[in-house]
Amino acid sequence: MSTALTTNKRTRGQHSTLTKLRQKGAIPGVVYGYQVESTPISIDAKQFMKALSDKGSNSIFQLELDGKKVNAVLSEVQRDALKGFIKHVDFQVINMSEDLEVSVPVTITGDSVGVAEGGLLLQPIRDITIKVKPNAIPETIEVNVTDLAIGSSLTVGDIRSQYNYDILNLDEEVLVTVTPPVVNEEPTETEDEVVEEE
Amino acid sequence: MLLPKRVKYRREHRGNMRGEAKGGKEVTFGEWGLQATTASWITNRQIESARIAMTRYMKRGGKVWIKIFPHKPYTKKPLEVRMGSGKGSPEGWVAVVKPGKIMFEIAGVSEEIAREALRLASHKLPVKCKIVKRQETGGESNES
Repeated sequence: MSTALTTNKRTRGQHSTLTKLRQKGAIPGVVYGYQVESTPISIDAKQFMKALSDKGSNSIFQLELDGKKVNAVLSEVQRDALKGFIKHVDFQVINMSEDLEVSVPVTITGDSVGVAEGGLLLQPIRDITIKVKPNAIPETIEVNVTDLAIGSSLTVGDIRSQYNYDILNLDEEVLVTVTPPVVNEEPTETEDEVVEEE
Repeated sequence: MLLPKRVKYRREHRGNMRGEAKGGKEVTFGEWGLQATTASWITNRQIESARIAMTRYMKRGGKVWIKIFPHKPYTKKPLEVRMGSGKGSPEGWVAVVKPGKIMFEIAGVSEEIAREALRLASHKLPVKCKIVKRQETGGESNES
C-alpha cells in the first residue's frame, strides 16, 4: 500500500521562494514525526497528484530523507481556495508497529428504500476516525443503506459491530439519514416586507 | 429575510475586504456549492432572492444550505442632506463575502439541476461566482 515519493530538501526562505518552487511544478512541504526532526522538503507535483489519485490520501508514503527511508502519512494538505491546486503538504512520519488514528471516508452502497419513495439521503458525517495498524488502513468504510426508510437513520453505533476497527466516533453520531421529501413552498409577498429595528 | 435578532451596536464601521475568506472555503454539507471569486457586501435581500431562485428551479426535492449570514448593519444618510451631523441611520443588513467563500450549497438533486439552480442564484448576487463540487478525500480534479 505504500507509495514511494522522491523528496528534495529545501531551505527555509522568503515567501517568494515557495512561489518559484510552485511555478517549477513542485509542492513545498514539511516532514516531521517519529524519530525525525522537522524538515522542509519539496516534492514533484505530478508524482504526488498521481499517487494521491491512485492510492488515496490514507495511503502510506515512503519518503527518502538523508538517505534514510521513512514511512509517513499525510497529515495536512493545504489547497488554494479558488484555483484548487495544492499549496503545501505535511507528512507525519509514523512508527509502523504502533496504532494510528486516521479518518477514513464513508461510502454508501445500495439504493435506499426511502429514496425510492421520494426521500432525500443526507450524509452528515463523511469520514470516520478509526485506530488501526498503519498496514491495515482501509480505503473506505462501506455502509449499506438498502433498508433505510424515510425518517430513519444509521448511526456509528449501528455499524460498529460490522467492523473490526476501533472506531473513535461516538455511537450517537449519524452517518446517513433519509429525510422526507422537501416541498419548496412559494414565498409570499408580505413575508418579504417585515422590517425590524432595534 | 435573514437579519440578526439583536446587535450590540446599531452602526458599524464599513471595514475593508482585503484578502481571501478566512473559512467556509469548502463544500461541507451538500454536494454542490456556489463559491464567490470576488469580494462584496451581500444584502439580506440578495441572499433571499438567490434562495428563491434556487428553490423555485428545484421545485420538489433537494436541500439548500445558506452559509452566509448578514451580520453587518449598513447605514445611509437621507437624500439631499448636507455632510456632517453624524452618521446615517441603519438601512439594512449585509454579509461580508470575500473570495473563496462558499455561499450556498445544494444536495439531493442531479448535477444538471444543481448547476442550473446555482447559476440562477449567481445572477442575483453582486459577486462573480464559480460552481464547485464537494471535494472527496484523496480525489483530485474536483473543481469545475
